[in-house]
Amino acid sequence: MTFVPGLGIAKGMALTMRRFFAPKATIQYPETRPDVAVRFRGRLQLLYDELGNVKCETCFQCAQACPVECIDMGGFDTKGRFHVHWGAAEQYAERREGSALRRSGRPVPDPAYEHFGAVDLAPVDGILRKYDYEQNAMLDILESIQGVYGYLPVAALKRVSDVSGAPYALIYGTASYYRHLHFEKPGRSVAVCLCTACVLAGAGRIETTLARELGAELGRGPSAAGVSLTRLPAHIPGGHSPLVTLDGQPQTIGHSGVAAWARALAGRTVA
Amino acid sequence: MTLATILPTPPRFPRLLLPATPARDPLSLDEAQARGAFASLRKAVTELRPGGVIDVLTESGMRGRGGGGMPIGAKWQACASTAADRRYVVVNAYQADPAVLTDRVLLEANPYAVIEGAAIAAFAVGAAEVLVALRAEATETIRIVEKAIAAARDAGFVGDDILGTGLEIRFSVRPLQGSYMLGEETVLLKGLEGRRGQPEQQPPYTTTSGLFGVPTLIHAPQTFAAVPTIVAGGIAGFPETDPRTFAGTILVQVSGAVAKPGIAEIPFGVTLREVLDVVGGVPAPHKLKALLVGGPSGGILPPEALGVGFDHDALEAAGAQVGSGSIVILDQGACVVDLAAVLTRFCADEACGKTIPCRIGLRRLSEIGARICEGQPRGDEVARLTDLAADVSASALCDHERRATLALVSVVRYFRDELDAHIVRNTCPAGICHPKAEARVGAV
Repeated sequence: MTFVPGLGIAKGMALTMRRFFAPKATIQYPETRPDVAVRFRGRLQLLYDELGNVKCETCFQCAQACPVECIDMGGFDTKGRFHVHWGAAEQYAERREGSALRRSGRPVPDPAYEHFGAVDLAPVDGILRKYDYEQNAMLDILESIQGVYGYLPVAALKRVSDVSGAPYALIYGTASYYRHLHFEKPGRSVAVCLCTACVLAGAGRIETTLARELGAELGRGPSAAGVSLTRLPAHIPGGHSPLVTLDGQPQTIGHSGVAAWARALAGRTVA
Repeated sequence: MTLATILPTPPRFPRLLLPATPARDPLSLDEAQARGAFASLRKAVTELRPGGVIDVLTESGMRGRGGGGMPIGAKWQACASTAADRRYVVVNAYQADPAVLTDRVLLEANPYAVIEGAAIAAFAVGAAEVLVALRAEATETIRIVEKAIAAARDAGFVGDDILGTGLEIRFSVRPLQGSYMLGEETVLLKGLEGRRGQPEQQPPYTTTSGLFGVPTLIHAPQTFAAVPTIVAGGIAGFPETDPRTFAGTILVQVSGAVAKPGIAEIPFGVTLREVLDVVGGVPAPHKLKALLVGGPSGGILPPEALGVGFDHDALEAAGAQVGSGSIVILDQGACVVDLAAVLTRFCADEACGKTIPCRIGLRRLSEIGARICEGQPRGDEVARLTDLAADVSASALCDHERRATLALVSVVRYFRDELDAHIVRNTCPAGICHPKAEARVGAV
């Protein structure tokens, strides 16, 4: 075809004008809603950051919001606890390896499953009856369950969800939020007070030292040595500063002795 | 065991919350009635009626004693005028600040004032249920409050038939635990609903859509405890003060390098210097270096700020807050940079994670603070800190997020020399932070 000056522009403008008068595809969401099938839910997609890590923080917000409860996830939650496990774990990247092993019938060497063991659920049923299966009393129900077992077994939470009809994500959200509820069998517990008076007396540095020497991170469950590190919710009236407790008992340790004390507690010989 | 010392205050400070002479038995209803307890409830029920009570409170100009400092007349009006078939009144005695015991002291020393105030509130807004939310760790306080409620019920002041009018106002105590954020009102309501504790966007305010979605009036115990006085005397309840600016007293807990740490009842608007006089000042070899006003999410003020009045607006302007009513006095041995860094870390750890600027921004801020204290600052650390702090508080959903940056920001504002010593010269004037500590070890 011979070169006609301006033909390209004309072609382009023709397309522009055709589209200009064609019906518009853009809608003013959310004022107007697209016409989609009743069961349409869109596609779930996890986004990745520039380094290739999944941006999902396993916060369970989407699972709570999901009207048909089809969203579920596995992996580490925002506080670094690993037992966020429910539903098909292989949907999510973190557990692919474990899922492959499980599908092929091989044992999965995963500490995350220790807390999934079967427990006697009769007390759970009793507690639910006592609270009349009331979803609004979930905090009381969970506290009672922890009172019976010493921790919150996953099987018990599953039972609560099945029987009361409360979505598991909701129960998990409550159970993982409150510091006094925990999913692991309790070990020894070291707590640091971080009230302003204790902070002034150097509690922040003591907390850092304890985390390092115990190998336990704040609020993340027991370390390999079975010691967990938490914060005291309030200064014990009359207690000295800085205040450190072991299994609820105030300890008399100062800045100089805290590292050796923690090493001894973690079962390591003093260097 | 007493929780904390209640300090004597000058005679010109009115005592409205804690009795001037402590009751022999705070639980004795007869003794409390002899001091005038439940007279205001009777006046409210028989004379003023709900509309009159709200008018009296609006006229008094009283503001809430919690961190927010909302005018309470408007809150009650909003709660009462929202159409609903039931309403709640919640006494927020959770008191999240781990160092502060003012609400517990108030409830133990003067439980009937809080109960009466809450009953008047329930009558005024038309609520049949009052929930008293307390820390589960405060077992003694819970026991006292439950006994006081039972005694008031037996005497017919609360319960199924208050003062023979057939009205119903039931009280119940709800112990909660496990989260610092429960001190925030919308989070507390989530806790009472047995849900994950995360704040809600406001509006809708709790007064129109609160606990279980119904209008809910939520105040700190100190607010409720002041209500009977106002109802009894109208505006003249605070004769020594201008009601529009003062509107009553507040309990503060002063600790740190002072002669007599303890809890004091002070009128709103007295200067920080007067508060310091109440606690006996800073004992001799020590020198006042700074004041941390408002608890873990409060601001650190220099000695020049002693002239600042203790009320919501003045403290806000100075870069601090009323907050939990905590004032911590720092002497020369304390490092304000270290203090601000650890407080920011505390606030970041306690954040619920709902808003991203709070969840990630506070984490980054506490990392900046830690880097400065460890002697490994990067370039432009102060600019980055200021910028990020402004973003976090500008995009805040709740007051925790709005104020969690105050500590670091106030250090930048008032203690620039000390901050620069850490960043530029890599030393800590107080000898606490890492760079200095290492230098000292090297010297020995």
